[in-house]
Amino acid sequence: MFWQFKLRKKTARSLLGAALTALLVSACGNNQQTTTTSPSPGTTATEGGTLIWARYGDADSLDPHRTTTTLSWQIFDQIYDTLLAFDDNGEIVPNLAREWQVSDDGTEVTFVLNEGITCHDGTPFDANDVKYTADRAIDSQNPSVTRGAWGPIETVDVVDPQTVRFRFQSPFAAFVSFMADPFASMICDSNQELGNQFGVSQAVGTGTWQLVSWTRGDEIVLDKNPDYVRYGRPVQNEGAAYLDRLVVRQIPEAQTRLAGLQTGEVQLIVNPPLDDLDAIRGDSNLELHVAENTGQNFFFEFTVSRPPFNDIRARQAVAHAIDVDAALRVAFDEGLVERERCPISRGVFGNDQEFCGQYSYEHNPDRARQLLAEMGYGANRPMEVILMTSTGDNRERMVQVFQSQLAQVGINAKIETMDIGTLNARVKQENERNTGISTFDMMDWAWFDPDILYQLWHSPGAYSGYQSPELDALLERTRTTVDATQRREAVNDVMEYLLMNAVHIPLYTPGSLWVYATRTQVQGFKIGPFNRPVFNDVRLQ
Amino acid sequence: MTRYFIKRLLGGLFTIWITTIAVTLLIHLVPGDPVQIMYAQSQSTTPEQIEQIRRNLGLDRPIYEQYIMYMGRVLQGDLGTTIRGNQPVLDLLLVRLPNTLLLAVTSLIITMVVGVTAGFFAAYKRGTWIDSTLMTGAILGISVPNFWLGLMLISIFSVRLGWFPVSGTNLNNLVLPALTLGLANAASVSRLTRSSMLDVLSQDYMRTARAKGLAETLVLSRHAFRNGMINVVNMLGLQFTYMMGGAIVVENVFAWNGIGRLAIQSIFQRDYPTIQGFILIFATVVVIVSIVLDLLYAWIDPRITYH
Repeated sequence: MFWQFKLRKKTARSLLGAALTALLVSACGNNQQTTTTSPSPGTTATEGGTLIWARYGDADSLDPHRTTTTLSWQIFDQIYDTLLAFDDNGEIVPNLAREWQVSDDGTEVTFVLNEGITCHDGTPFDANDVKYTADRAIDSQNPSVTRGAWGPIETVDVVDPQTVRFRFQSPFAAFVSFMADPFASMICDSNQELGNQFGVSQAVGTGTWQLVSWTRGDEIVLDKNPDYVRYGRPVQNEGAAYLDRLVVRQIPEAQTRLAGLQTGEVQLIVNPPLDDLDAIRGDSNLELHVAENTGQNFFFEFTVSRPPFNDIRARQAVAHAIDVDAALRVAFDEGLVERERCPISRGVFGNDQEFCGQYSYEHNPDRARQLLAEMGYGANRPMEVILMTSTGDNRERMVQVFQSQLAQVGINAKIETMDIGTLNARVKQENERNTGISTFDMMDWAWFDPDILYQLWHSPGAYSGYQSPELDALLERTRTTVDATQRREAVNDVMEYLLMNAVHIPLYTPGSLWVYATRTQVQGFKIGPFNRPVFNDVRLQ
Repeated sequence: MTRYFIKRLLGGLFTIWITTIAVTLLIHLVPGDPVQIMYAQSQSTTPEQIEQIRRNLGLDRPIYEQYIMYMGRVLQGDLGTTIRGNQPVLDLLLVRLPNTLLLAVTSLIITMVVGVTAGFFAAYKRGTWIDSTLMTGAILGISVPNFWLGLMLISIFSVRLGWFPVSGTNLNNLVLPALTLGLANAASVSRLTRSSMLDVLSQDYMRTARAKGLAETLVLSRHAFRNGMINVVNMLGLQFTYMMGGAIVVENVFAWNGIGRLAIQSIFQRDYPTIQGFILIFATVVVIVSIVLDLLYAWIDPRITYH
C-alpha cells in the first residue's frame, strides 16, 4: 500500500490513514455473513433455518414511541406483543390480556393479563410493564409520536400484578382497538436501564422474535424467542417460531430485490417492480402475495386557504372530472388495487361502500365543465393548478392519467412529484399560505380505526387544511361514543360531511408496501389484517 | 515542495469549509425539517410540542447561528448524533467509510487497468478496427447510466450465471459493484490515454529511439508509456472524486453498506447532522487524496517544480 506509506510520513493520524487501515482490516475478511442453504426441492418443510426478508428501506427506530413508519412498526410487530389482537376478520380478541372490561360510562378500561409471560431478558411481564409502557407513551417529556392515539388518559393504575386499569378524562372509543395495534406494543420496564440505547441497539419485549443486532440501513437480525406463547395472534403455531432466525435486510433498488429473490439469496421481498409481476407469476420458484385490508387509503385533499379550492365548486369539479376506474386500469395490473369510496378503507370499522357510494362523485365531465363555467372558467380561461404526489410504485402513472382527464374539462394541472416527507411538509406549507398558485394533492394514510379521520381533519388538522366547527363536533362524537352501533352512525356522519363538502375525495386502496413475493420454499407466510407480515407459522421447505 | 504542500493543505481546508457552508444552506432550502418529517403523519404532537423539539435541537435559531454552533462542535471532534436514533454520527460514518473506500479504490484500479490498456492499444493500432471498436465501446460506456449497468451485470452474472451474489457488503460481493463503477469510468480514461499516447507517439524522441535500434517493446514501455502516463496520473485525483460520487448510486443498487447509502437515507429523513457529517467526511477524503496524488505527480514528473 504505497499510499499508506506516504500518509504515515506526511499526515500521520489523518482520517484517511485511519480509514485505509480499517479498509485493510476489513479486506482481511473479518466479515460476517449469514448463509442460507436451500434444501433440494421436494423435501418436506423442516424446522429451523433462516429467512431473509428484503425491504426497500429501514426502520427509523425500534422504539414504538419514536416513529410511525410502516417500515418501523412491521418490526415492532415481531419484537413486541400487544394487550389485544386483531383476528383474521379484523375483530378484536384477547392477547397478552386474557380479558378486558370497559366501564359503563366509557372512562375506565381494565385489563387482566395472562400469567407466566416473560420478557426476552427473562424478567416477568406484568401490570408494571403495561403501566411503564403507557406512562412513557404519554409522557410530555418524551415526545411520543403516538401520544394522541392513546387518548385522554388521566392515570394508569396497577391494581395487582396481573391487573391494570386505564382511567380517561372522557370516554375514548378508539382505545380498545388501539390496544391491538403495533403502535401500542408493550415494552418491558427493563428497557428503562438502556437509556438512549433503547430502540437503537437493544429492545426488550415479549414478542415472537428477540433483537440480536441492528446495523442501521443494512440489516436487523432477530432470533426466535423460545418462550413465546401464542394467545390471540391469528396464527396456528401455539409456541415459538419454527424458524431460528429472521433477518430483515434493506435493498433499496426494486430490481436488485427481485434478482436476490430469483437467485435465492433472499426468501421474501416487499414491493417487487410492478412491471415484472408477470415474471414472478410465471416463475414456479416464486409466489406473489397481495395484502388486502391494509387500512390504506389514497385520496385527494385540497389547499383551501386560497382560491379556487376554497370554493366547493372547484373541488367538486375536480372530483367529477376524474375517472378513477379508468386510471386504475391504466396504472395497475388486475387485482392489485381496488376503488375505494369511503374516506376510511376496507377492513376498517365503519367502512361501508354502499353508504359512501351515495355521496361519491361519479365521472361526469359535463357537470365538471358546468361547475367551472359557474366560477368563470372556460375555454379562454382554464384553471391553473398544481397536483402534488409522493413517489412510489405506480402513483405517478395514476396522476398522469388524472392530469389528462382534468385537461379535458379545462383544468391545467402541473404535476409535482416528491418523496413523502417533502410532500407532508409541503402540503402543510401550502395550507398556511393565502397566496400563490392553487394546489391539491394525492395523499395516503393508513390506520386501523376510523379515528384516522379525527387525526386528519379535527382542527388544527394534520396538515392545517380544511377545518370547520361542525366537522370538529362530528369528529368528537366518533371519539366519545363507545357503543358500536352509535359509533358507526357517528362515523357515517363524518364521512358524509367530508364527501358532501368535497374535502376528502377517496380514490383507491391499498397502494403502498402491499405487494410481497416469496420463494415457494417458504411455507406458512401470512400477511395479517392491516398489512402485518407474520412469521410464526413459517417453515422452509 | 514543503511550501507548496502547506499551500495545498490550506487550500484544501478552505474547500472543506466552503463545502460545509454550501451544504448547510442547501439542506435548509429543501422543504421540511427533520422534526416536521418525523412527526408529519402523527397527529399526536401538538404544534407547541413540535416547537419544543425544534428548540431542543436548536432548529429554531437562524441558520448562521446553527452553523456556527455546529462548526464549534465539529472543531472539538463532535459531529453530533442522528436525529432519529440518537446515534453518534461520527461512529456511523467511520464504520461505513472503509466499505466506501474499498469500493472506490477497487473501482479505481479497474478503471485504470481497463482504461489505460484500452487507450494504449487504441492509440498504437490507430485507425484500425481495434481502435474503432475500443472507442465505440468507450462512447457506450460513457453514455450508459451507472445504475443501469449495475442492473445489467446483476441480471447476467447473478441471476443467469449465478457467479456472484446480488447484494450485501463483503468481499464476495465486491466484484459487481466495483465492475459497475470501474467500467463506467474506464471509458473516459481510455479516451484520455489514447489522445495522450497519440501525442507521445508522434514526438521526435520516439523516432530517435526507434532509429537507435531499440526493440519495439522497449520503445513503447520506456519512452511512450512513461510519458503518456503523465497526463493520466494527473487525472487520478479527479477520477477518485468520481468514484466517491458514483459510489453513492452504486451502493444503492447493490445494497452495499457504505456512507453514500447512509447519506441518501439521511437526506430523505432530513437528518441534518448526518448529512453534514457525510459531506464533511466526503470532502475531507477527496481533498486529502487529491493532495497526495498531486505530490505523487510531482514525484513522477521531474519537470514539474512547485512554488
